[in-house]
Amino acid sequence: MIINFKGAETYLGTGGKSLDINKRTLCFLHGSGQNHLSFIQQARFFAYKGYSVIVPDMPAHGFSDGNPCKSIKENAEWINDLLVKLNLKDVVIIGHSQGCLVALELNRILKNSLKALIFVAGSNEIPVNQFLLDLSKENPQKASQMMVTWGHGIDGDMSINKWPGHSHYGEGNNIMCMNKPTALKYDLHSCNDYSNGIDAAKNIKVPALAVLAKNDQMTPLKSGLKFVELIKNCETHILDCGHFLPSERPMELNSIINSFLSKLK
Amino acid sequence: MSENYKFDTLSLHAGHIPDKETGSRAVPIYQTTSYVFNSTEEAASLYNMEVGGHLYTRISNPTVAALEQRLAALEGGASALACSSGMAAMHLVVSAICSSGDHIVASSKMYGANINLLQHTMPRFGVNTDFVNPNDPEAIKSAIKPNTKLVFGEVIGNPGLDIMDVPEIAKICNSKNIPLVLDATFNTPYLMQPFKHGANIIVHSLTKWLGGHGIAIGGAIVNGGNFDWGDKDKFPTISGPHFALGGISFWEEFGPSALIAKIRAEGMYNFGPSLSPTNAFHLMQGIETLPLRMKKHIENTHTILDFLVNHEMVEWVKHPDLDTHPDHEVAKRILPKGSGSIVAFGIKGGREAGKAFIESVKLASHLANVGDAKTLLIHPGSTTHSHLSSEAMKEGGLTDDMIRLSVGLEDINDITKDFERGFKAVKKLNK
Repeated sequence: MIINFKGAETYLGTGGKSLDINKRTLCFLHGSGQNHLSFIQQARFFAYKGYSVIVPDMPAHGFSDGNPCKSIKENAEWINDLLVKLNLKDVVIIGHSQGCLVALELNRILKNSLKALIFVAGSNEIPVNQFLLDLSKENPQKASQMMVTWGHGIDGDMSINKWPGHSHYGEGNNIMCMNKPTALKYDLHSCNDYSNGIDAAKNIKVPALAVLAKNDQMTPLKSGLKFVELIKNCETHILDCGHFLPSERPMELNSIINSFLSKLK
Repeated sequence: MSENYKFDTLSLHAGHIPDKETGSRAVPIYQTTSYVFNSTEEAASLYNMEVGGHLYTRISNPTVAALEQRLAALEGGASALACSSGMAAMHLVVSAICSSGDHIVASSKMYGANINLLQHTMPRFGVNTDFVNPNDPEAIKSAIKPNTKLVFGEVIGNPGLDIMDVPEIAKICNSKNIPLVLDATFNTPYLMQPFKHGANIIVHSLTKWLGGHGIAIGGAIVNGGNFDWGDKDKFPTISGPHFALGGISFWEEFGPSALIAKIRAEGMYNFGPSLSPTNAFHLMQGIETLPLRMKKHIENTHTILDFLVNHEMVEWVKHPDLDTHPDHEVAKRILPKGSGSIVAFGIKGGREAGKAFIESVKLASHLANVGDAKTLLIHPGSTTHSHLSSEAMKEGGLTDDMIRLSVGLEDINDITKDFERGFKAVKKLNK
């Protein structure tokens, strides 16, 4: 659905079901240069399981207008304001990649409404190399293509997809092309500049789940494992795939998340 | 580590890695109609398009999916869908995008069945087409109306071998927010990848060069993922709520793959032109050697062009790689590896000469197909168009003396020797 938020048309994927503020809401946060389509196989799945689902396109991403947020903190504040506007009081945040950093900051802002945090292919820090930072400014399309290639495991190279007929590379490139050209640059700088991760992770008080990818080249497994050590009682799973875990291993990821959610109060 | 494999490697591997249980190196033929659900919940997830997977072979099948994913990789598309024939692919695209009251702009120089579908069948369902010269971008631009929903053409026209200036036409379509749909059968992704030139949707007859061995009929749609379907007034059944799945918006839920998701949920579900898993396997065997075959097809075509151009019994020769072809410059620009392996030529002596030639050759096969590994010939004047007068044939861009040749992979000296036999018979007749 499209809403007017902070003076800009803002798109929220709801998984094909209406948003019901009285239900537990799963809020999915996309990664750098991505949009709601990162969670094609999660949004409908959990909406049809009875949860309320929102997958916002961050400003300047996907179907959302507006100017891109310029820091992880700004992203988190934008999401917080959105949740307040929608009057959502029982929220589980599910971040992928950059979305995990935003989730960490949200943990500092959200008070009683936050019920759990789920980190998919995440870490407490996502340093970005200078070459990619520069390329995202000079040639965002080329930078996107490189990220799509690096980001996928062997399934990307071999055009293996759980969704019959779909190509990770072809689909991934076009998803990133849907964003405004400046979106990627600000996303990558936001990730690179973020430094609150360690403190934020140590301060998590709600139940936490981390699903990491064995062949992740964007947020390497080693970094992810250090991250989960910072979180008290973080349930951790490792799947055999690349960084784009939501599309590379949708069934396994959904099953892990579903099981985690079923244990929440 | 990401490898970013190249075309020749993808032709062999894309869409399949050996499974851990059997280690089968070849893509297995999943000759099944249906798939056991682990739970009612899983079944519901598949029916609701919550996650990907297979529920019934009319909609999808693992062997067919491997073929689809190989085609998506070779074309650089977002997604692909394989179906029972090239014409099924064409109809699926038209019926997914257009509804009664809509309009299409199409090339006037296309395969007869494509013209028949648009000129005679679709108007019965309220979808009308204006046919224009594919080499005239201004004519295409002028023919576009407010209710035009797609522009359709063939990269290399059949049988006239006209070359569509894809980048130019794509610019026009893009400026009007109309998808450019191309039949890319004659070029295959080896010779040219239309998405790189701005096209949005590709249809293929897999029966031809992609399959390449004349053993299986099949078709495919490849979706570039590069078209914005977001205009709800223009494309209401793709971006607006669809009757299926409780009012799904394919554009919102599937973005770049919206068209393929819609065709699978509606076209495959309601019309059912599915590809058999065995045929998908046969077609994939062909694709494995596509780069090798296309190189040899082009090499043999160029040799036979020299032979025909210099032959005393040949009145004329038509192929876009010849500088006498009106679209030669466009061909050089968009098809630098070669403009395919179909050649048209005229034999001195008219309709009877053509018939005599066809009946005298022994190695080249006289039949109504193209793109086989074997050399194929047909003389429209004595076969497919024998009921037409010379004048009527001319109106359709054909001539009495025309032979359509699909150059195969044989030793080219054996083919020229075979043709000499045909020409000898014609000489005898002309005496």
